[in-house]
Amino acid sequence: MTLTDWLRDPNPTSRRQAKLGQLWLGWLRLRRNPLAMAGLVIILLLLVLAAFAPWLATQDPITQNLQNRLMPPGTAGHWLGTDDFGRDIWSRIVFGARITLYIIALVAVTAPLIGMLVGTVAGYFGGWVDQVLMRITDIFLAFPRLILALALVAVLGPGIGNAVLAIALTAWPPYARVARAETLTVRHSDYIAAVRLQGAGAGRIIWGHIVPMCLPSVIIRVTLDMAGVILIAAGLGFLGLGAQPPLPEWGLMISAGRKYLFEQWWVATMPGLAIFIVSLGFNLLGDGLRDVLDPRSSGK
Amino acid sequence: MALIEIENLSVIFNAKGREVRAVEGVSLSVEARESFGLVGESGSGKSTILRAICGLAPVSGGTIRLGGAPVARGKAFSRRVQMVFQDPYASLHPRHTLDRTLSEPLAIHGLGDADRRVMQALEDVGLPTSFRFRYPHQLSGGQRQRVAIARALMLEPEILLLDEPTSALDASVQAETLNLLSRLRDERGLTFLMVSHDLAVIDHMCDRVLVMQHGRAVEELSREALAGAQMKTAYARSLFEASADRMLG
Repeated sequence: MTLTDWLRDPNPTSRRQAKLGQLWLGWLRLRRNPLAMAGLVIILLLLVLAAFAPWLATQDPITQNLQNRLMPPGTAGHWLGTDDFGRDIWSRIVFGARITLYIIALVAVTAPLIGMLVGTVAGYFGGWVDQVLMRITDIFLAFPRLILALALVAVLGPGIGNAVLAIALTAWPPYARVARAETLTVRHSDYIAAVRLQGAGAGRIIWGHIVPMCLPSVIIRVTLDMAGVILIAAGLGFLGLGAQPPLPEWGLMISAGRKYLFEQWWVATMPGLAIFIVSLGFNLLGDGLRDVLDPRSSGK
Repeated sequence: MALIEIENLSVIFNAKGREVRAVEGVSLSVEARESFGLVGESGSGKSTILRAICGLAPVSGGTIRLGGAPVARGKAFSRRVQMVFQDPYASLHPRHTLDRTLSEPLAIHGLGDADRRVMQALEDVGLPTSFRFRYPHQLSGGQRQRVAIARALMLEPEILLLDEPTSALDASVQAETLNLLSRLRDERGLTFLMVSHDLAVIDHMCDRVLVMQHGRAVEELSREALAGAQMKTAYARSLFEASADRMLG
């Protein structure tokens, strides 16, 4: 029996085989969706860029060379051109992938988790718990995200770590709303009543039975939010509160290139394209994942 | 002493300031190993009684006693009383495999040997053990209801509350499911409290039946009285006449 036969066995004999089989089927479904695969390829490329940055970069991303400043794309040795300090833009984008990935990974782990916890607890218990948690959420939602992040960074001190923290703390309220809405729709369903009748505690019900129902919409929101997260990180960098120069952060590079946008367009456009492509990749993958994450859509 | 004693039970829901009296002053008692039916049209409060026993509906007045003691909900209660819900499409978690659904009660109560028990439970309700890692959407309605019955029996309760267990199924599957329930009752000595709007189903399953209307008890009938059409009230008679043709079979 080959590995694929084992994975595709309709009557698995162990939990592990069933789990792996499900994963395999999910992968097959994802593979049939060309747009999702395009998204996946883009994100894998980002991962490769970040992992092998020292080998893929042609120059040091930080060393300045003022004789070579503002060279157009296609110049020998600088195929994406150079910026206003003569640094190679390609190398900076490659190293910037690491920073982008760092921001995304931290925000994508913390914000949805906090949001989902708040939302499901509020939705499940209802009453005053719901009132208190949702009013707190409202307070966070009442401020424009960037302003709130600015205030937090101003208190915590500028830097990429604090910027990530500020973004995560301002990004969770929409997840809480989504999770609460999903919780309200399943809270009174018979399968929740059944597990309650079996003597399950609130923690088990929320984590084991309600969270799986919220997960798909939250994951889709995460992938769609990633573009916004990158942009807010860039905005904080632009205002001098996020990544600090000379770090090759993409948003910082755009704001540096703003001064030369008309004469030396490539300085801002190249990192802009990088943000655009990565955001697109996350959006495409998010769409594909939604289909895969719903086992009911598994009709082959 | 009866196993389930309900005295003067009232359930009142508060919906936006308006009181809805779902159940008013209903009393009944069910002996151990008996099968007791509750019958009435929709909205007569029969399902609400089951939910009140489980703590899923508020008890506004009266008492519910199990084996002589007032009900105390908790893990001990779960091991004595379980419920099978009406709609098998809504009562199984759509993202859990049957294995997860059936082993969840074992995990909650810290019972070991989950593999063997899950397989045994599937066999007991007549499902192939190869279905173990399927999702509910991969099963038919009748198969799902079998899973729901298996789940209710995982904790080996003595009392099974059945909330119209067959009304969402078509006729042939209905009969199969009822036969399965009868067999399990014989094998395990279960006590049934069964709700239905169909007297034919009640007649097939129950030793005694309480007819309800508008949240109140109308008349209690023994199986013999039901078979002999000896109703005292007009409402019970009209219910009987509505399903009489199917009861003779």
